[in-house]
Amino acid sequence: MSETRIIDVGEGAAIPSKTDWGLFNAWTISIVFAISTIFYLIVFEPAPYKRIILYLSDGVIITFEVTIISIICACIIGLITGLGRVSKNKAINLLASTYVEIIRGIPLLVQLFYIYYALGRLLNVHDLTAAVIAMSVCYGAYMGEVFRAGITAIDKGQSEAARSLGFNTKQTMFLVILPQAWRTILPPVGNEFIALLKDTSLVSILAVSDLLRRGREFSSETFLYFETFTMVALVYLVITLLLSKGVSLMEARLSHYVRH
Amino acid sequence: MKRLFKSLFLVSACAILALGVVGCGEKKEEKKAEAPAAAPAPAGPKTIVFASDATYPPMQYMNEQKEIVGFEVDVIKAAAEKGGFKAEFKNVAWDGIFGGLENGKYDAISSSVSITDERKLKMDFSEPIMAIEQMLVVGTKEKATDLAGLKGKSIGAQIGTTSYFVVKDVKGFKAVKTYDEVGLAMEDLVKGSIQAVVADSPVAVEYTTKKYADKIKIAGVLKSDKVENIGIAVKKGNKEVLDLVNKGLAAIKADGTFDKIKEQHKMK
Repeated sequence: MSETRIIDVGEGAAIPSKTDWGLFNAWTISIVFAISTIFYLIVFEPAPYKRIILYLSDGVIITFEVTIISIICACIIGLITGLGRVSKNKAINLLASTYVEIIRGIPLLVQLFYIYYALGRLLNVHDLTAAVIAMSVCYGAYMGEVFRAGITAIDKGQSEAARSLGFNTKQTMFLVILPQAWRTILPPVGNEFIALLKDTSLVSILAVSDLLRRGREFSSETFLYFETFTMVALVYLVITLLLSKGVSLMEARLSHYVRH
Repeated sequence: MKRLFKSLFLVSACAILALGVVGCGEKKEEKKAEAPAAAPAPAGPKTIVFASDATYPPMQYMNEQKEIVGFEVDVIKAAAEKGGFKAEFKNVAWDGIFGGLENGKYDAISSSVSITDERKLKMDFSEPIMAIEQMLVVGTKEKATDLAGLKGKSIGAQIGTTSYFVVKDVKGFKAVKTYDEVGLAMEDLVKGSIQAVVADSPVAVEYTTKKYADKIKIAGVLKSDKVENIGIAVKKGNKEVLDLVNKGLAAIKADGTFDKIKEQHKMK
């Protein structure tokens, strides 16, 4: 690990070193493997695989929809919860903490059942809406903790300096603390995004026609379990890899960590 | 540029290798399916393990003592007595129940399995236990009596059942939703998320007369030109189990035990 290979990402584009393996890294291998397998199977074994992928196609869209909307909502809820958790106002602090404790203590699958079937009699929500609500509320609590950790990780001197320059508490938080905290928060939030995407497979329990449910429908009728679930796994892998690439690109732009 | 090509080559070589692995996996799967046809020699009365999705009242369901009970369970227990085997029940989720049979996790499926030509290709069936029909269940205020009257509405059925197969290709619905359990479909109907459920006749009668008697009703029977029978499914070629089950079923049908059980459960 020579000193010369340390590249500060914030200072400009990364220069590949001699020991850099170029395209030969885990992400490229995985995505090339997944996509080429899918294409190979569709082109050379169209009998089951092309039928499967056609059947799965609208499920992919639903999975995407649930993921994207849930990510946005969970981020907003997470930010509010995180701010609540560091708030000096006792009531707000208590409220945010209780929310996190309760939601974190209930499995997502149970929450899904609860919102759709248990509360369903009172507030008849659409299946997709119930799925998005459950995912956002659950991941909002997790992200709240990430935001709180990121905010408290910022040196106290930063807020003291801002306050002595005449910023009020709101300005200090939004103009000084959060922009810095965001860089620390991003990697763990990226992990949460990917975990959320994978957990959307749980919403199939609400009879939402997502990727997994479409796969189950197909296999339960044709008995092609091996072929169907191979395809379902590969499609999930491709989506997850694309999302993880997006997250790491964002990280590379924003992170203040030195990349080795 | 050269380095780029080199690494691209390496990556694609890896991918091809991986494909080989997937291909091999498939072949192995086929071999496995053929191999364990021979069952171990029976000592005393043979124990047959029946897989049953115990979410299907009144055919098979869990009572509060956590036992699998129901009409079909009683039939199999009576058949076991007459056929000279021991029946053991195992609660298995419907979705995937056929995969478990193929992998040898249990000997037979007793879960109101309708005998269809597609299923016959994959497994063997006992003699029919009884005939059932597909019924359309709707809310009490709904006026439609057939599928045509429900155009533009959402309809539900249990995943992988003949109830789902009869509606899945019918055009004009807003959505055809599949549920893991028929009870969840009924619950969604009561809630109003869907407007109709298709279910096997015994189940439809059970739900509309007991659980949700004041909320849902049977709108009608979905007519079919073929008689739908339910039977016991065994792994293809497992003649030993099939013969025992058939012997027991024939015996209880001959001596009137079957009709008695039917009466006890108030089945038509």
